[in-house]
Amino acid sequence: MASQLRVMMLTWEFPPRIIGGISPHVYYLSKNLAKEGVKVYVVTCDFPGAPDHEVMDGVEVFRIDSYKNPSPDFASWVFLMNMNMQKEAAAIVKSLGGVDIFHAHDWLVANAGIGLKHVFRRPLLATIHSTEIGRRNGLHSDYERMIHETEAWLTYEAWRVICCSNYMVSHVKWAFNLPEDKLVMIPNGVDAREYEKSTVDLNKFRRRFALPEEKIVLYVGRLVYEKGIQVLINAVPKILEKVNAKFVIVGNGYMKEPLWEKVKQMGLAHKVLFTGFVDDENLRNLQKCADVSVVPSLFEPFGIVALEAMAAKSPVVVSDTGGLSEIVEHDLTGVKVYPGNPESLAWGVTRVLLDEAYANKLRENAYRMVVEKYNWEKISRQTKNVYERVLSEYSRTFWA
Amino acid sequence: MRVVIFSWEYPPRIVGKLANHVRELVWQLAKNGIETFLVTYHEYLTGEFEDGEVKVYRVTNPVKTHVSVLTWVSTLNQEVERVAANIYYKSGKQIDLIDVQDWHFIPAAVTLKKAFDIPFVYSVESLEDHRSHGANSPFNMAIKSIEWLGTYEANTVIVKSNWMANEVIRAYKVPEAKVKIVNPETKHWLESILKVYRELKGGCCGYG
Repeated sequence: MASQLRVMMLTWEFPPRIIGGISPHVYYLSKNLAKEGVKVYVVTCDFPGAPDHEVMDGVEVFRIDSYKNPSPDFASWVFLMNMNMQKEAAAIVKSLGGVDIFHAHDWLVANAGIGLKHVFRRPLLATIHSTEIGRRNGLHSDYERMIHETEAWLTYEAWRVICCSNYMVSHVKWAFNLPEDKLVMIPNGVDAREYEKSTVDLNKFRRRFALPEEKIVLYVGRLVYEKGIQVLINAVPKILEKVNAKFVIVGNGYMKEPLWEKVKQMGLAHKVLFTGFVDDENLRNLQKCADVSVVPSLFEPFGIVALEAMAAKSPVVVSDTGGLSEIVEHDLTGVKVYPGNPESLAWGVTRVLLDEAYANKLRENAYRMVVEKYNWEKISRQTKNVYERVLSEYSRTFWA
Repeated sequence: MRVVIFSWEYPPRIVGKLANHVRELVWQLAKNGIETFLVTYHEYLTGEFEDGEVKVYRVTNPVKTHVSVLTWVSTLNQEVERVAANIYYKSGKQIDLIDVQDWHFIPAAVTLKKAFDIPFVYSVESLEDHRSHGANSPFNMAIKSIEWLGTYEANTVIVKSNWMANEVIRAYKVPEAKVKIVNPETKHWLESILKVYRELKGGCCGYG
């Protein structure tokens, strides 16, 4: 290669700022692209205690002032953050003497990505991790339509649109009326090695969450409608009829309070534990302790949490929807159940918990698949190939 | 000298007093030998037009549904940047300055300054503090924060009266030397503007 490929990643979250799945995705992708010889600059929002500029695992990270402007609502905050991000990124690109490609993750950085594309006349790539129309199961207000149209605008301006599952490719194609050849499927990944690092005594660690005789049923995710946490709560009594278990619910969201109230009314407060946010190391240990990991989503573009559970060698029970349908092969690498159906979910969970040999078979198969198919080395090579293809197409345009 | 003016209103789109003032300004600039480009918004009359000697570019909003003027402006700025960048690349990467009329396209002017070292003038027509009668909801404060960014990043702030000069200095703590008063009702207003432009030409990042 003549010179090093330089890519500027735009993302609203990057470690230590972790809100959802984009942060770890961009972190592992950037780190592994750097190993592949790509020069990666990440421009992201600031976080208390994190430096404005640092090199992290070979990736150069710039954190911009993102809470400068008062904002009436979340979308307005996003747009004003983009104003600042674009301004800072423009100065960074100038000081670097240019970059080859801009890579934006979701509508949260649409404005900045699109502006930089035109100002520096460089190709823009977009990864669409999720859509408003999917998250909300339709568009019900001007606010939601505005976000949907901003997503459409990003896919319109992008040279290629990357999605993490075949399901998302067809969903995005439908949602924004995109031509087939604009879309690329590159799966999300998980770093299985991260799960081997911990030296904690898991038996002791486990006791912080459950009694020795209780099986641990683990849920990890935001506590919001589309993640289907309410389906799991409804399945709790049905599961307890058959197995003694403790339900550990990791994450936050607007449904936390109402669900906790409901659990108390059901008289099951001693069986369900809401932990709130849990840091990476504790989360990995929890996933290793889990006798079953449940992903009961109603809408799931990819389902990274299922892969993480597999990497932790925890058997998974997932709803048969979206990206989860592609990740899990029923009876081989996990159990699939009907989305939004507590009876079906309870059936899947008890099946795994009551048959140890079956559970162990799922663990082994799933772990092997994760390491082979969803490793970041492979994913970053695929991403680099897309960059190179785009740059070769770009070199024949009048912008080049 | 090559100057690009940003204004969110320009005939035939007339919202308030600004449209005709800007039209007068760009016509006079062109008449005085300034290569003048005007970038503005129109819902559907988009593209490149010749208005006398002035080259007019109209852009529309790529996002049609919005919840406020604040979000509306936010997605429109990238189109302004796109057109301004096209002018920049087509003219041998030389724009001497940008004059942004009122707050709407300040984000674009700031980005272009950071990317290409193009100095810019922020011409204040009115302030959010007066338009909203001192309201300080997050919405008003957000617009004020954009106006502040304009006064902070601009090389020169042009106002139309002594009163407005004092208001800009009061509201955004702008250094006095950065504020120039040009009353468009007076006889030599255009010469005063040209003087500001000439001082800025070729020298970004000083206070002129």
